[in-house]
Amino acid sequence: MKVLVFHIGADRYGLPLRQVQRVLPLLELKGIPLAPDSVAGLMNLHGDPMPVIDLSRISGGAPSRRHFDTRIVVADYTSPEGAVHALGLMAERVQGVQDVSPQDLAPSGVQAAPFLGRVAGDAKGMVQLVEVNQLLPAELRGRLFPAEAAAG
Amino acid sequence: MNNLSIRNKLYIGFGSIVAIILLLLIMAYNNFASLTDANRWDKHTMEVLLELDRVNNATLDIQVDARGYMLTGDESMIGSERENAEKMKQSLTKVIQLTADNAQQNERLKRTQALLLGWVNDNIRGLIEKRRALGDSKGAADALGQSAELRQGGAVVNSARQLLEQAASEERRLLAERSASAVELHASQNQLLIGGGLAVIVLSLLIAYTLGRAILGPLGNLTAALARLGSGERTARIAVTSADELGKVSADFNNMAQQLQDATQRELELTNQLRAKVDALLEVVSRAASGDMTGKISVTGADAIGQLGEGLQRMFDNLRQLLTNVQKAGIQVTTSATEIAASAKQQEATGVEQAQTSVEVLSTTKEISSNTSQLLKTMEDATAVADYTTSATSEAQGNLRRMDQTMQNMVNATDSINAKLAALSEKASNINSVLTTITKVADQTNILSLNAAIEAEKAGEAGRGFSVVATEIRRLADQTSVSTWDIEQMLKEMQSAVSASVMGMDKFSEEIRRSVGEVRQVTDQLSGVMDQVQKLAPQFDAVLQGMQAQAVGAQQISETMMQLNDATQQTVESLKATSEAVHQLQYAAGDLQSSVSTFAVNA
Repeated sequence: MKVLVFHIGADRYGLPLRQVQRVLPLLELKGIPLAPDSVAGLMNLHGDPMPVIDLSRISGGAPSRRHFDTRIVVADYTSPEGAVHALGLMAERVQGVQDVSPQDLAPSGVQAAPFLGRVAGDAKGMVQLVEVNQLLPAELRGRLFPAEAAAG
Repeated sequence: MNNLSIRNKLYIGFGSIVAIILLLLIMAYNNFASLTDANRWDKHTMEVLLELDRVNNATLDIQVDARGYMLTGDESMIGSERENAEKMKQSLTKVIQLTADNAQQNERLKRTQALLLGWVNDNIRGLIEKRRALGDSKGAADALGQSAELRQGGAVVNSARQLLEQAASEERRLLAERSASAVELHASQNQLLIGGGLAVIVLSLLIAYTLGRAILGPLGNLTAALARLGSGERTARIAVTSADELGKVSADFNNMAQQLQDATQRELELTNQLRAKVDALLEVVSRAASGDMTGKISVTGADAIGQLGEGLQRMFDNLRQLLTNVQKAGIQVTTSATEIAASAKQQEATGVEQAQTSVEVLSTTKEISSNTSQLLKTMEDATAVADYTTSATSEAQGNLRRMDQTMQNMVNATDSINAKLAALSEKASNINSVLTTITKVADQTNILSLNAAIEAEKAGEAGRGFSVVATEIRRLADQTSVSTWDIEQMLKEMQSAVSASVMGMDKFSEEIRRSVGEVRQVTDQLSGVMDQVQKLAPQFDAVLQGMQAQAVGAQQISETMMQLNDATQQTVESLKATSEAVHQLQYAAGDLQSSVSTFAVNA
């Protein structure tokens, strides 16, 4: 299984490539006043507005620093109702793609943020999987995708 | 017994002895009276016996006379017959009188008297008358001898004699009886005397012993207690065992001893108090003697010791004040001495320096005076040199003008270098923008490679080869980024070097400009110098004259300096002496201070 490796703080995390549409350079985002802190802003994806979540911020850390290898990853977010949305994820130090064999993955054993999954060890330390579908709490989801919430 | 006074004891003791002796005497007197009585009775019996014997004798005499007359008829023979008869009568009367107390004897003797009186008056007188009647006739004697009267008379006499004999034997029996009773009395008298004497002796001894004990015992106790008291044992007391005079004396002695002991105790307490006070004084005085003047005298009062203590306290206070003052004065003296010593040192050093300086001045002066002639010569040389200098200066002026020209060229060159460096900096900026572009491209390439990898993953097995290509592209992009970063760093260093060079060049051109100005100034000054040098020649003559005057002056200075030097030497000597004296003063002050500091004056 291939994962896109990025960093939250000093630790490495992996997004499964299946859920990644593409990687974009850090663009100017439109700010959303009164939005939660974890929402970095709105970006224009081929004419459609797409909310961008700051992964460092939603993990409880400081906002992502604007470095040249800070990217916006466009991921497919499948809501519990089954609808698929494009969701922008601002990630620091997006280093590349890494192959993780499924037998190396093991449960982390620590119940922390709901979107953090299993871990795999390698020579440079541990990589923890990030479940995109678990990323948004219900309240934030309601704010980001209000039409669906109303429909649901 | 114990409660009796000694007088009563003595009275009782001696009285009892006298009573015993009196009793004994009375008993002895009684015995003696009995003995005297017995003797009287013995004598009485003897008298009775004697009178009886006389009666007998008288009877016999009468018989003998009567017989003799009857035989012889001689009247002379009976001459004493009447006398003897009278004797016999008297003796009989007396013996009857004597035996008046004994009725039996009295009666017996009265019968005898009657018999004998009858015999004498009747028988004997009858016979005598008969004989006389016969006269000298023969046979008269026989006739009478044969007569019945004679025989009757004999029988009467015999019976009378028997009665007398009975009375005598009765008297003898009584005598024996009385002798026995007298012997018995004698023995009892002896026994009484011996036993009574012994009893008196024993009783006297007993009384004497008891009295002696009753008197001598307490006296001994008293003497022993007095001896103990005399030997210093104050607690010596006597146990009062009796109420007599000695008991009183003992009680009085105890009182006296108690008072003596109390007095001694009070005296001892007073002595102890005195000693404590004296000790306290002594301790403070000892501490003061060893230098510790901080002791306080707590002994006060109106007595001699208290006044002494207060006087000592005042004396210590004064001493302490004095010592404090002396200590302060010592410290001041020490400080002043130190300061004086320091200033003396300084002065001495200054003096020495002055001396050295004067010596130096002297030698310098000498040198000056000796050099003056040399200088004169040198001045001539200098005149020549001045001429040479004038020509050399004009030459230097020309050289300086050339140097000025060169400097100008240098300024121009520096300006062109600056312009070139500015161009270099601009080029570097251009390179920087190119590098930014390259970085952007590399970044884009990186993103592209990532997206390519994503696409390849989505394409599954078909995208595997593409995935490898995407990885390679990403590596290339990374390498490009790294190289670009290196170039960027180098370019930054170059730019900073260029800007440093520009700054250095600016400074350099500034220096050069200042140098040009200075060179011009030097040239101007050289022109002035030349003018002055040309004016020097006439001044050298004046200088020469001055030099000569200077030589003379130097000689004078030298002499004055010699004198000054001597004076300075003397000053230094005296300063040394002063310094020595000050040192001694310092030592003395130090000694004073250390001596005084052995006295502690503050508690």
